[in-house]
Amino acid sequence: MIFLYSTYNELIKIALKPRSYLGLAAITALVGIILFALHVDGMSMISFVTSSFEQTLRFEGKVLNGNLVAFIILQMLIVHIPLLVALVTGDLVSGEAAMGTLRMLATKPISRASLLLSKFLAGGIYTLLIVVWLGILAVVVGRGWFGTGDMMVLNSDGLVILQEADIVWRYVGAFCVAFLALLSISSLSICLSCFSNNSIGPIVSTMAIILLFTIIGTLDVPVFDPIKPLLLTTHMAAWRSFFEDPVPWDVVRTSVYVLSGHIIAFISISIIAFTKKDITV
Amino acid sequence: MIDSPIVSIAHLVKNFGTFQAIKDVSLSVYPGDVYGFLGPNGAGKSTTMRCMLSLIHPDGGNIELFGKNIATERHAILSRIGCLIEKPDFYKYLSAYQNLAQFSRVSGNPSSKKAIMEMLDFVGLLERANDHVSGFSHGMRQRLGIAQTLLHDPDIIILDEPTTGLDPQGIIDMRNLILQLKNERKKTIILSSHHLSEVELICNRMVIINKGESILEGSVQDLLADQAQIMRIETAAKDQAKAMSALAPHSPVAINAVWIEIEIDKASIPAVHAHLVAEGVAVFAMESKRKLEDYFIKLLAA
Repeated sequence: MIFLYSTYNELIKIALKPRSYLGLAAITALVGIILFALHVDGMSMISFVTSSFEQTLRFEGKVLNGNLVAFIILQMLIVHIPLLVALVTGDLVSGEAAMGTLRMLATKPISRASLLLSKFLAGGIYTLLIVVWLGILAVVVGRGWFGTGDMMVLNSDGLVILQEADIVWRYVGAFCVAFLALLSISSLSICLSCFSNNSIGPIVSTMAIILLFTIIGTLDVPVFDPIKPLLLTTHMAAWRSFFEDPVPWDVVRTSVYVLSGHIIAFISISIIAFTKKDITV
Repeated sequence: MIDSPIVSIAHLVKNFGTFQAIKDVSLSVYPGDVYGFLGPNGAGKSTTMRCMLSLIHPDGGNIELFGKNIATERHAILSRIGCLIEKPDFYKYLSAYQNLAQFSRVSGNPSSKKAIMEMLDFVGLLERANDHVSGFSHGMRQRLGIAQTLLHDPDIIILDEPTTGLDPQGIIDMRNLILQLKNERKKTIILSSHHLSEVELICNRMVIINKGESILEGSVQDLLADQAQIMRIETAAKDQAKAMSALAPHSPVAINAVWIEIEIDKASIPAVHAHLVAEGVAVFAMESKRKLEDYFIKLLAA
């Protein structure tokens, strides 16, 4: 019961902290800008991509529709969302330490593991809220503004055309995997937060780790090849697999396992560190 | 019949890397005590308190509260303790009411809105219940801290330097509040303080901690009763020679034109006063200068 009360406390703190709305506001502004840009100049962008196919293919109907717009938005923003998530979750433990409230909380009859798990749960709910908000803006607003239709996706294997009726479930799956990826970022930042007594450190460290892993993932150096499949950044783009035809379920499954493994590892490390931590601030 | 201790610490040890913050602290607190932790900065008072609350994990020794070990029965112990360690820190973006509600929910027995409002009324913050804590003065935060401490009706209240940063009126209010908690609510209170006179005024028992060791423990009254004290006797300038003669064999430890200071035990004071009057010395005032401070400084020097 005390765990649920603690989770409720954490959600209230997130809801009443001005910083929490920064992520939602940033997503709203960014999606707004992308939608406006696509509305004004989207067709020339599409023409640039399709020009190479126009000698062999003839495109009919509305190519720049809501389904494609949502895909473009996801593609553009999924790199930046981790920062917005870490901005709140990286502060959940270290922010309390910096404020002095961790000392007060830790003298209450709730186990440190429960306290930390309630923060993970609240951080997860916030991450879900960010993903849902992104989904509403990208898919619902995108489809409302640009209409629907078959979806054209260009990937490394070539051009994939997805039927209009075959798209919604793909977005649901893509957002689920995107949520899992962001949850792993959220877990990483909370884990780092357990080792720090200031708010900024874990947020900056989370971004530095993502940057480092991304660079390692893109470097074409054989020495990194064995570790690339284990890096969480390698699997952050797994949502894109849902827009291949057929969906490479083995790739999706592997990504889900790796991301889940990271989440479990980060939570375990956090609980061990936080339980043993001397609270001296 | 002697009560068994409600708090018992035996040979506590805590190291931070190579620095030994607590070398050997032992103490016993009995039900109903107002117990003072006395010691200079860095003596280990706060670290001992943090160990009692499981904020810090000791490297050695044993801590029992209510007959239970804090290392193994943390939950049962902490649900009966209210504490304010160092400065009172709260969520600045929440109101006084919301802050109390937050801490109440994780105290094991969430308080009703009515109970929280009553507690805010008790500490004089009812009218500021819905104001954000960011606008509170230190004194107001301290009172909110006390409210947070008392909300779940704990048996033991631990206060780490509760008057630090308060203005003179705030200090008096805090002392009165502590005595009220002891007398009216029958709480056991453990406090640390830099204000040595405060320990003398409020506490019935105390421990002196220095360099990570408990060097003396006992009843404040007993510890002070045996001590010789400095008595300043104010007389007229013309009576100085007469007074010096009447005070023999007590030789003055300090003297000026209108007063003489002698070292004297408490039991001899009435006789000395009567003798001075009988010898025709006009005594304007007799003031005991022996305070806990002198005793404390002597002990630390030793």
